Amino acid sequence: MKKIKKRVAIQLKHATKTYELHHEKPTLAEKVLKRKDKQSFTALKNLTISVREGDRIGIVGSNGSGKTTLLKVIAGISTLTSGFLFTRGKIVSLIDVSAGFHPDMTGTENIFLNGLIVGMSKKDLKEQYESIVSFADIGTFIDAPLYTYSEGMKLRLGFSVAIHASPDILILDEGIAAGDANFQEKLNKKVLKLFSEGKTILVVSHWLEYLEKNCTKFLWINKGKIEKFGGMEVLELYRKSLR
Amino acid sequence: MKWLSPKQVKYLDFLIAMTEKEIKVRYKMAFLGFLWIFLNPLLQMAVMGFIFHFFVPVKIDNYFLFLFVGLLPWNFFSMTVNKATPVVIFERNLIQKAKFPREILVLSIVLSNLFHFFISFIILLAALVMDKVLSGYSFTQLVQYFLRISLSLGLSVWLGLITSGFSLLFSALNVKYRDVNFILQAFLPLWFYLTPIVYTLNLLPQQFQYIFFLNPFTSIIQLYQVILLNQQVLYPTLTILNLLAGGIIALIGWKVFHSESPYFDDWV
Repeated sequence: MKKIKKRVAIQLKHATKTYELHHEKPTLAEKVLKRKDKQSFTALKNLTISVREGDRIGIVGSNGSGKTTLLKVIAGISTLTSGFLFTRGKIVSLIDVSAGFHPDMTGTENIFLNGLIVGMSKKDLKEQYESIVSFADIGTFIDAPLYTYSEGMKLRLGFSVAIHASPDILILDEGIAAGDANFQEKLNKKVLKLFSEGKTILVVSHWLEYLEKNCTKFLWINKGKIEKFGGMEVLELYRKSLR
Repeated sequence: MKWLSPKQVKYLDFLIAMTEKEIKVRYKMAFLGFLWIFLNPLLQMAVMGFIFHFFVPVKIDNYFLFLFVGLLPWNFFSMTVNKATPVVIFERNLIQKAKFPREILVLSIVLSNLFHFFISFIILLAALVMDKVLSGYSFTQLVQYFLRISLSLGLSVWLGLITSGFSLLFSALNVKYRDVNFILQAFLPLWFYLTPIVYTLNLLPQQFQYIFFLNPFTSIIQLYQVILLNQQVLYPTLTILNLLAGGIIALIGWKVFHSESPYFDDWV
């Protein structure tokens, strides 16, 4: 294979994300009546990293180390407190796939609404509709309102829409588990296919064998900072730290 | 649509789809379905008219019609802010799922209610024109009346703008301060009575009049009553100040929402 210089897909420079901490939800009345000192929590500290197109990054780190915050920032759901973020192309995350479904609308109506949410165009949706329906495999229920669906059916429909969104950058948080063994296998195949298509992929997982098998680079985050970023050796070091 | 980028077209499609969802879902399970759009303010008019006609008599000609003309735009406003204020919290799943302009959540509510408002409003206009035809207006008089009531469509656009301003402002504030919704719930009925819907301005004592300078809805409601019914007195200074204040609030609402929305995820 010819070695081409790949373009940058994701770039973070001195990325810092700070949350204000609240023990209860703040109220306007409180804000007017008394001023409290703000406590804050820094989830990401001065992260600088650059990901090239086609990189498959496995992200590891203990709970609360900032993995999910990092994914949220890259996905554009959350915004950095300071620092710089650049991303190229359409980002789709397989987080909360059935969010945004409305129980009173039919499967078909929900496919169109959810497709638009994850960033598909109307034209894409019309072209992909048949494929989405057949992948979700919910039969005649497609014309029934969503409140008649089982949880498994909703998840299948959600995954089916997200997976058809043809992302440039795909974000996976923890393991993806949905439906029965049959659907699980189909889903894994589809995700692996995306892996092999040279998409940029970010996976957060505690299942290290899965990362080892499917990722090209590994990012170890500890307390909001980059502990190590590189090849397989990062995973080995992380493994050692766990023992 | 060449003047929009593909991304903008996508977001516009999303806004339209969300608006459609709001409209469809609302009447899907209700008996009589869409009829409720018109039935609702009609029943409200009957109840209010009954109270203010018999218990606290207000001396205004065609009182029920006068009420209806004020109630329609007010209902549009109050229903919209009521629903839009907590929308970011209610739709937190969507916020945490994908990136899109958060304004769409609020604007889809404004647009779906505007759709409902226009349906009732057009029925009202048709009824008013019918009434003029039956009472023997000449052709030129009818044309004049027609031109006059078309002004109300422009006014409705203004109403929509101000309503979206308030909705965006309240919903953005409600993300950080959850009691904004409760304050609004308490304040809306009071706001209703501080707006000349069930009475005309000249029925109030002079010392209360200054309050209307603070309430941008005074002139909007008054203009509807003037344009459609030729009832109610207009004070030019009040009208201009009200319209100006409305515009400023709309602008503030859009600005606040726009600067706060990137951080919604931190709070929901």
